[in-house]
Amino acid sequence: MKKFPVTPYLLLLPSMIYLVLFFAYPMVQSLQLALRREGQFLHLRAEPAPEAAPVGTLEMQTEVRVLDRLRTEEVLPNGRTRPIYWFQVEAEDAAGSTIQGWVSQSNVFIESRTESTTARVVSGETTQEWTLDFLRRMVTDFRFGSALGTTILLIALILPLQFVLAIIMALVLQSQIRGSTIFLYIFTLPLGISDLASGILWYSIFTQRGFLNSFLVSTGLLDQPFIFIQAGNQGWMIAAIVLAEVWRATSIVMVIVVSGLQAISRDVIEAGEVFGANLWQRLRYIILPMLKPSLQVALILRTILAFQVFAVVVALTGGNVITVLANETYRWYDPARFNNPNVAASYAGFIMLLSLGISMFYLRAVRSQEEAEKAL
Amino acid sequence: MKRGHFLLLAFVAVLLIAGTVFAQGDTITFLSTQFNVVEEAEKARAILAAFEGGAVEFVGSEEAAMIDLLKAEAQTGAGTVDVIGALHGTFPTLVNEDLMFDLTELLASIEEGTDVNDAFVQLGRMGTEDYQYYIPWMQATYTMAAHKDALQYLPEGADINALTWAQLAEWGKAMQEATGEPQLGFPVKGLFNRFLQGYAFPSFTGGMVTKFKSEAAVEMMRFLRDDLWPYVNPESINYDFMNGPLLSGEVMVAFDHVARLKPAFDERPQDFIAFPTPAGPAGRGFMPVVVGLGIPFTSPDPEGAEALIRFMLSPETQGAVLRDLGFYPVVSGVDTSNLPEGVAIQLGAVEALANSPDAIPALLPVGLGARGGEINEIFRNAFDRVVNKGEDIQTVLNEEAATLQTLLDETGAACWPPDAPSEGACQVE
Repeated sequence: MKKFPVTPYLLLLPSMIYLVLFFAYPMVQSLQLALRREGQFLHLRAEPAPEAAPVGTLEMQTEVRVLDRLRTEEVLPNGRTRPIYWFQVEAEDAAGSTIQGWVSQSNVFIESRTESTTARVVSGETTQEWTLDFLRRMVTDFRFGSALGTTILLIALILPLQFVLAIIMALVLQSQIRGSTIFLYIFTLPLGISDLASGILWYSIFTQRGFLNSFLVSTGLLDQPFIFIQAGNQGWMIAAIVLAEVWRATSIVMVIVVSGLQAISRDVIEAGEVFGANLWQRLRYIILPMLKPSLQVALILRTILAFQVFAVVVALTGGNVITVLANETYRWYDPARFNNPNVAASYAGFIMLLSLGISMFYLRAVRSQEEAEKAL
Repeated sequence: MKRGHFLLLAFVAVLLIAGTVFAQGDTITFLSTQFNVVEEAEKARAILAAFEGGAVEFVGSEEAAMIDLLKAEAQTGAGTVDVIGALHGTFPTLVNEDLMFDLTELLASIEEGTDVNDAFVQLGRMGTEDYQYYIPWMQATYTMAAHKDALQYLPEGADINALTWAQLAEWGKAMQEATGEPQLGFPVKGLFNRFLQGYAFPSFTGGMVTKFKSEAAVEMMRFLRDDLWPYVNPESINYDFMNGPLLSGEVMVAFDHVARLKPAFDERPQDFIAFPTPAGPAGRGFMPVVVGLGIPFTSPDPEGAEALIRFMLSPETQGAVLRDLGFYPVVSGVDTSNLPEGVAIQLGAVEALANSPDAIPALLPVGLGARGGEINEIFRNAFDRVVNKGEDIQTVLNEEAATLQTLLDETGAACWPPDAPSEGACQVE
């Protein structure tokens, strides 16, 4: 009988632990946030104490009548006292029957703790329940459609441009012409710049008093600065985003392509030259087919990153007229705006599903091609 | 390790620990969400140096960090923060968590010598009758600012200190025709929701929430879309703080928070004037912004904290804050002579606004608790859908009003000024 090979699994274990701890666990948590709602209800207590037996349950925002109150004091470490009130209240529960019991001040809103005769239930114990409300709220939000559409439009515009440019740039570097090292520095410069910084940089180019308008006006091509970034002309804003993204993120594709190019044996290309293949033929029939694995890696990487495009869009366009999925995620998460992490988690889950789906599709496409080639 | 080194290290450690303990003994920690920019924090520290009741450590903080810290201190029972300074909108969360002392007695003793603005005192009670969660510290609001070159295009007969929104639109049109470029600017990426809540809706409908889908609101949206926005610089969608576009000359006339216009007046007081926001058919809606001071239950030194609040509300300190930091007093009797030119220009506009006969003060939303941000998005969405996406006004207002009503029902928030008080949750008419 063959012995079970333990060593490979032991070697995999650290990375598995890492993945579970820092990817799988937060992912499950975030999906839960999107699909589970915290319901709240308030237990009325038989006695004015948190551990007393519950005598009934009230829903949030129920109006209650205050029958009696009990004031106790807690002495704080700084020597002051803090009053703690319990109220004996009467109210109708969800079933319509009148119940009586005690509630703590922290669970009701009351205008005057010493005098008011009515109060309102504002908090209580939480329960968890499954819900599709947050997903529904995401899908019915009027920005959802345009965010999804713009994200996909940007991918469709940016990716092909980036790949054509990256291959040309890589070939320039590979050609060993004089000064190709300088090109290497120029091409890889944007790699070191954060996406927000590059968004701000391009904003300063396209803004009304920006570099581009100053240039066009000073050379006499325009009489007045042209406003590129405006709600009335979204084409210009999309064009600006595409330019900024292509400038910023093409070099990472180029780096992958260069490493792929270096893996192609010179012999193969020289053999092609010997048989009289011109530059285009060498590119089409030798280099591109042999680059395929690198291009596929770059494609997956870039597509996933393109679903997360955010800072460039916000810095260039303000993020209200033109919006993308990642911007909506933040709009719902931001405490100063919707402050609703549940809907934000729905967006995050949606982006993740899209990325997963696209990656699966690419991997499938690769495999079926390879299988088809093997079958030949 | 050599014995000598070890002794030296031990000595240094003892010194450090003793230092912190002694420092905590008579230092009052003041955590503030305002003035958390380095230059402002320095000015705030300079003002606090005049406090005689002990050394004050001024710590600037973001809002979320402050809330988290106070919650954590309450859970452990060991506090470091004595006084907090925060916007009105920060307090609902602190109230829900029941973290703050009742300052009714402190306020009463302060009011023996100084008159504190009653409307803000009321706000500091957070909807209750007898629990003072914060004592108002200082106020700000929103005004208009204009480059002096723009004044020549002002419509005939218009008084800059009593403009109407229609005259502003005419002015914008005249400037665009004369210069070829749209010259009005609004901070659509910044605090634009306050423009809608505190200025547009109250000026046209007399309310903020109850008249959300009324005929007057429809007329207001039509005015914004057809009469005003054609003359607003389209780059407004990317404006956050209006001092930048004013200084760079992209716009000549702008609306924003006084603190966000201040750099323009500081830098070139000779070029800019400030004036009150315009009025609509219902009056001159404006939104005062109030910053409050509170003491958390976990304060290690509540006596020191009370003394510091007393100091912050003295007319001298309030004057210093106005002079150096550009926030307006909440007490009477503040000396406003000898102000820097820029501050004086803005103060003039703020006073003209508050004292104008048709003023409609509109308060920040009260009673929405942690969901206070959601109402901002509802107003912004309504504007975006009508003006930028061109959707039908009444349809948009009806739909957003339904969302607004759900929010009000779920939080049980009663109407707040300028809407008339309500029994139970506020209702959109």
